[in-house]
Amino acid sequence: MTADRSGLMTADTGASLPGPYSDLRVVELAGDPAGEALGKLMATMGADVVKVELPEGAASRHIGPMVGGARDGDPDASLNFWFYNVSKRSVIIDYQAADGMARLRGLLRRADIVITGWRPADWAAHGITPDDLRTDAPALIIANLSPFGLDGPWADMVSSDLVGLALGGPLNSCGYDDHSIPPIRPGGDQGYQLTASFGHIGVLLALLERDRTGHGQLVDVAMHDCLSVSAELANPYWFYPRVLVHRQTCRHAQPTPTQPALFATADDRYVYFALITAEQKPWQSLVEWLKSKRLAADLTDPAYDDPGYRLANFAHIQQIVEVFFLLQTASDSYHEGQQRGLPIGVLNAPEDLPGDEHLATRGFFVPVHDDAPGGPHLYPGPPIRFSAFAPAPVTRAPRLGEHTAEVLGGAA
Amino acid sequence: MGEVTGYPDQRRRPRPRNGPLAGIRVADFCWMGVGSVATRLLADFGAEVIKIEDRTRIDTPRKLPLYKGEGARNFGEEVVGADPDKGGLFNNYCRNKLGVTINMRSPEGRQLAERLIKASSVVTENFAPGVMERWGLSYERIRELRPDVIYARMSGYGHSGPHAAYRSYGPVVQAVSGLSYISGLPGREPSGWGLSYMDNQAAFYNSAAILMAIRRRALTGEGTEVDVSAVETGISLLGPVLLDVTVNGRVTRGQSYPAGNRLEHPDAAPHGVYPARGEDRWVAIAVFTDEEWDRFADAIGRPGWTRDARFATQRSRWANQDVLDERIAAWTVLRDRYEVTKLLQDAGVRAGAVQNAEDLNETDPQVEHRGVFFEMDHPVIGEARFEGVPIRFAETSADNWRSGPLLGEDNEFVFTELLGVGADEYAELASAGAI
Repeated sequence: MTADRSGLMTADTGASLPGPYSDLRVVELAGDPAGEALGKLMATMGADVVKVELPEGAASRHIGPMVGGARDGDPDASLNFWFYNVSKRSVIIDYQAADGMARLRGLLRRADIVITGWRPADWAAHGITPDDLRTDAPALIIANLSPFGLDGPWADMVSSDLVGLALGGPLNSCGYDDHSIPPIRPGGDQGYQLTASFGHIGVLLALLERDRTGHGQLVDVAMHDCLSVSAELANPYWFYPRVLVHRQTCRHAQPTPTQPALFATADDRYVYFALITAEQKPWQSLVEWLKSKRLAADLTDPAYDDPGYRLANFAHIQQIVEVFFLLQTASDSYHEGQQRGLPIGVLNAPEDLPGDEHLATRGFFVPVHDDAPGGPHLYPGPPIRFSAFAPAPVTRAPRLGEHTAEVLGGAA
Repeated sequence: MGEVTGYPDQRRRPRPRNGPLAGIRVADFCWMGVGSVATRLLADFGAEVIKIEDRTRIDTPRKLPLYKGEGARNFGEEVVGADPDKGGLFNNYCRNKLGVTINMRSPEGRQLAERLIKASSVVTENFAPGVMERWGLSYERIRELRPDVIYARMSGYGHSGPHAAYRSYGPVVQAVSGLSYISGLPGREPSGWGLSYMDNQAAFYNSAAILMAIRRRALTGEGTEVDVSAVETGISLLGPVLLDVTVNGRVTRGQSYPAGNRLEHPDAAPHGVYPARGEDRWVAIAVFTDEEWDRFADAIGRPGWTRDARFATQRSRWANQDVLDERIAAWTVLRDRYEVTKLLQDAGVRAGAVQNAEDLNETDPQVEHRGVFFEMDHPVIGEARFEGVPIRFAETSADNWRSGPLLGEDNEFVFTELLGVGADEYAELASAGAI
């Protein structure tokens, strides 16, 4: 058994082939995390992703956090940009000018995929249509990841991660038990990330289709569509029993309230543990665990062998478990609970992750020689591993226009 | 031998499929959420996904009490002895798939599974690491059965490393990956997620990984084993805060992080979810630039407070969000959430009502126009609604041919017609409890 970067339990299978996208050229015109995350997914799987930027640079270069000590306005110091743009090349083309658009269209004739993020009004403002691009290059796949898609009454509305999550539904399921507090947007850019995931699947299906037919097509992905099917149980609860789910603190939104699943620990951290008393085996594991710390209180009473009795005394059990976790550290709770077969999760903060022994063994974080002092720094590696393909190296995000000459032959 | 298989309703009899994955057969050992959603995508686009179930260990989505015509039950409130064919969540996850039952604890069952694998070119599973090996189904063995096989393995922690055997489901993955911690108001417990977000995202990464492998196999003839860890996928979704930590050495634990509905970067303000008229009604508003603020102030009629010096610039509004949010909430709370949405959107300001499933399904004109949801009939459930794949192709479409399989519905078709099991042997398998 090997435990190398390929991560698989199997014997060495070679991992000799280049990345699964090593034959693909992608042009990325995206300015928000949806398109940028799609480009990143493709770049880290081996595609040559050329990010085309206007002379002032992509909007994402001007969003923080910045590298500590960076000068104001430095387009090459945004960690926001670095996160979403590793392993890409950067080319400056002023495609808002006529000769720039001609140069861009020239580049697209040599591309397999173009990633755009435009509303109908934006396409009109650029003076081109998806059909124009397809006429130039019949094999081109156009992945347009926009807020509401290219048609419909809302197509030209404006959005953001927060607004997208609100209109699309997932936000309605997230927040606190206290409903005087508004729904709370989960961290990161998850509205955009879900759009990127569907964009990625769309590109792949279009590639498979192109391999059969020889021609590309427009793939129209709307954040709103993506989010409207991404609230997990909310739609099925409406489709079937026709009930709505209501948000609860850090646990599933449900039709009616359930017990808390977040437990504070001795070191002022939290673990997630859904206390389920109906099944005998996990119940016994839990009681054994409490007993081993002399904290089982009366739960060893044979009356608790009966699931009905446990259900009737759920609040009491919950209290004992609360006290138990308050006397353990989060890390001990996590590992010991898991070793006892209980599905318990520690609420890691980002700074807890690089030191995690499991992730370190799998080599998940990879050193990247970026432009910040004190490097190399650890970046997340690709979360998809193949036994047959060597992982593409993660390389630092490009400086603005760094590859203009090599891509355009110095004719920018 | 086309007529040998008995389907009481001939419309449920499998037919040749359309789409970019037509002709690809998948031996699908997946269950629960991640795996079922991952292989649903393959089934939607033409793959012949044969879902393998165990009669003695019913797939959880069959048991979760999301039943048509019955009242509100939380998903933990399973009904003992309920009909496994009436579970709505299973129907949602397993549409377009064929369903067979195999008892993998019996030697005959394992032999049958190997015959099915031999006749397939993709094998999928999301058991705890080691379960497939216990049945003899290592990658090496599966490659003996099918040399160019794609063996897609979906798990919480991946198939190597000291925590590979840890148990996980969506909320645990969200906790361990950091996604829960980065979500919430400062100085409070995390609000995290009210859904198994990572059941969806890990599923989509797995779908994409399988499609990548299918494409590469078509080009090179080589199969592969695939290992996707949901925790690693979750970490890759944390966003720029992760580099703030690894590059700048930031420590996020403390009183000021996370920022709730506000943004640390860029200095957008207002950026929040505000109360609207009615009970638990909310509207999100996001203003990123001075130009957007001007349009916002115009749209709401430039009340006096918008001229407060503290709100003069993007930076000063961002620095004074507590008082800014109070002013805005006092304005929104008197208005309907859709009225606010329209007023601000008409002015080019990013705003949107917080919508629930009823809103999306019954009144959202954009979802309606885009045809996101669709209906199919089911023999036990009746007409049911489904979440479509939210990707609009110019020249490709999903092939929605049948609702989710009844338990073992396609046993006879798959085992006798596809695998060529004879009638006597089929009867023996059934009587031995192997299927």
